Amino acid sequence: MPGLPRPILLGITLSCLVASTAVQAKEQLVLAIGGEPDQGFDPLLGWGQYGNPLFQSTLLSRGRDLTPQPELATEWSLSEDRLTWTLTLRDDARFADGTPLTAEDVAYTFHAAAKAGGRADLSSLDHAQAVDEHTVTLHLRAPRITFVDQLMTLGIVPNAERDNGYSEQYGRQPLGSGPYQLVEWQEGEQLIVERNPYFYGPTPAFERLVFLFTGEDATLSAAHAGQLDIAAVPPALATKVPAHMQRLIMESVDNRGILFPMQPVNGEHAASGAPIGNDVTADVAIRQAINLAIDRDTLVEVALQGYGRPAFGPADGLPWSSRNERLDAPDLAQAEAILDAAGWRLGDDGLRYKEGLPARFRLTYPSSDTTRQLLAEVSAEMVRPLGIEMQPTGRHWDEIQREALHQDAIMFGFGSHSPQEIYYLFHSQHAGNGFYNSGFYANPEVDAHLDAAQAADSIEQANQYWQAAQWDGTTGYGLRGDSSWAWLVNLEHVYLADTCLDVGELGVAPHGHGWPITANLLEWRWTCD
Amino acid sequence: MRQAQPRLRAAFSLGVTTLLVVGLVASQWLLGDFPQQMQFNARLAPPSVDHWLGTDALGRELWARTLAGLALSFWVGCLAALLSTLIALSLAALATLSARLDALVSLLIDTLLSVPHLILLMLIAFALGGGTQAVIIAVAVTHWPSLARVLRAELWQLRQAPYVRISRALGKSRWFVLHGHLLPHLLPHCLVGALLLFPHAILHEAALTFLGFGLSPSQPAIGVLLADATRYLSGGYWWLGVFPGLGLLLMVLGFERLSSQLRRAL
Repeated sequence: MPGLPRPILLGITLSCLVASTAVQAKEQLVLAIGGEPDQGFDPLLGWGQYGNPLFQSTLLSRGRDLTPQPELATEWSLSEDRLTWTLTLRDDARFADGTPLTAEDVAYTFHAAAKAGGRADLSSLDHAQAVDEHTVTLHLRAPRITFVDQLMTLGIVPNAERDNGYSEQYGRQPLGSGPYQLVEWQEGEQLIVERNPYFYGPTPAFERLVFLFTGEDATLSAAHAGQLDIAAVPPALATKVPAHMQRLIMESVDNRGILFPMQPVNGEHAASGAPIGNDVTADVAIRQAINLAIDRDTLVEVALQGYGRPAFGPADGLPWSSRNERLDAPDLAQAEAILDAAGWRLGDDGLRYKEGLPARFRLTYPSSDTTRQLLAEVSAEMVRPLGIEMQPTGRHWDEIQREALHQDAIMFGFGSHSPQEIYYLFHSQHAGNGFYNSGFYANPEVDAHLDAAQAADSIEQANQYWQAAQWDGTTGYGLRGDSSWAWLVNLEHVYLADTCLDVGELGVAPHGHGWPITANLLEWRWTCD
Repeated sequence: MRQAQPRLRAAFSLGVTTLLVVGLVASQWLLGDFPQQMQFNARLAPPSVDHWLGTDALGRELWARTLAGLALSFWVGCLAALLSTLIALSLAALATLSARLDALVSLLIDTLLSVPHLILLMLIAFALGGGTQAVIIAVAVTHWPSLARVLRAELWQLRQAPYVRISRALGKSRWFVLHGHLLPHLLPHCLVGALLLFPHAILHEAALTFLGFGLSPSQPAIGVLLADATRYLSGGYWWLGVFPGLGLLLMVLGFERLSSQLRRAL
């Protein structure tokens, strides 16, 4: 360097400065990735249930290998009796109003979330205690293997007793210590967020993010018109990529499947007024036959344009799911034999009947979702040769809740990085509770396995119980047992992103709610002038 | 000759439209569930000799689905127009019974006419939970006011006609007056009114379904086909929208022409 003349050195420096300024010039990103939460951005009511709540921080974060990593907590430990978690908080965490985040806020969040009855499973929490400003202890009533997941997903809100503390309006005006703060939210239209100047982590590359809540067709049109920097698109519509964009594929554990109502009709109604039960799907022979008849490879090809893989359970490939839970190919002959043995006789109209009851039921899907519509229509076509008529029926979500939730087969989607979801989906304790076990599935043996998993000494032991709940050699919620679902496909999330946007290394996404692609938002960069 | 020409034209239009409708209905009988049959190896195929109007995302033939959609629209339009005409006729008759009832019916007509059609349609269809029945009811309930206004005026005029007054003075019953004098005069108005309502009804059914408040997305309705097409248009699959749209346009124009010919002839 000493050899270089000063003007040349100055020129090189200026060039670098200009270049780096140009690369940093993009200050705003426009995203249309769906996922607008009905209940606002309130972690106590379920916002961020799959992690990365954007406005708030969690105590721990989930690493790429799904292990806990430091976030707000720099150190953590679980007592020998597995009843007390002790966490040490970082001392530089501040809410977006500049006030420090303390152990009191953490204790308040856990107490309030337990009372709120949101998506966080804090039923085992006895109490949370702020030991000092930066140390908090969480005391459990009984050991619970999935409690650590709450540490990775529950965003910390400000104590209600402080200035700008938590209130009923929090979901509309969230205050947290995450990388961004909310500026404006026009429900059903757009959300504008800006950097939180007090964020303890690295400064995000983009000052402002604009989330557009558009339907699938509007999103696609906007992407083609060059109005979006990143857009989530259904796989079936991702065949043509605009010239200025690239197709991004994000692996996921996000799945789609058919939930069957498990109870026969007996005149009961849920608290919401929705009728419970379906005489056709309550018969295990029908459920097993459908599972055997569906050609999942074709579903992936037709409904997902190849962006996915067949699904046989709610957590395929994850340690708490059995590897033996799969079918090599559809087997119509066996499906027919099962139906025959169960007394479902083929009528002249091509439909099966049992004691005058036709093998016919509605398969409901949210009408705004192309992927679920395609899956419903193709699945119905696949079981038609058996003499079973699944009637694909598109409805709005509120209508599904009001009418269909407990009496129709529903095209649902789940997929989580935590086995807690298995507990929600199949434990009788959660029967009729929200969307999870809306089919009122109940099997005492499965309950026992699920409870044993929660109380297990180690994750390895818990995984054995989770797998036993799927099939223990005698019974289970899975394909070989009660066939309570017909799991169809595991999705790959498809995005169209501007070619100038470098999103780094994408992880494995959970179910689509909560913007999974933003999990590594802090790594995103703009690479063009 | 001048008088005969409109009647000839009307008869010709009626003949052509009847043929088309018979063809449409017969096609549904002949096609069965063909419009729903999927060909996974021919998805989104453009129009060709093998696939006359192309295929959709599940390989279903668009010509068959367009025909099925038009047939569905036809039935929905027919029932909605019929129901709407009945409502209009009943209210018009009610209005002639007393001045108070007349004021009430007039208020109802003015109120409904002042609310934008589509918003009311969406509200009613949404409240009824969507589906074929909801669409028929929503279209019927929102389309009667114009016809009711015409029929009401006609009835008031007829009640003052000398032969009706003489008939009453001679002690003829209300039923006789209605059946013998009023209805024969009203029927042509009702027929033309219903025919004029029909294109509106099918257009609004398609619009309602397109917006997601009408028929189920799994039914091959024209609104559903058009809504599906918008998702794929940016991918270059133009045939998904063009042919169902053209089919709807031709059907609406056909009935519009028939009704205007009939109005002139009658």
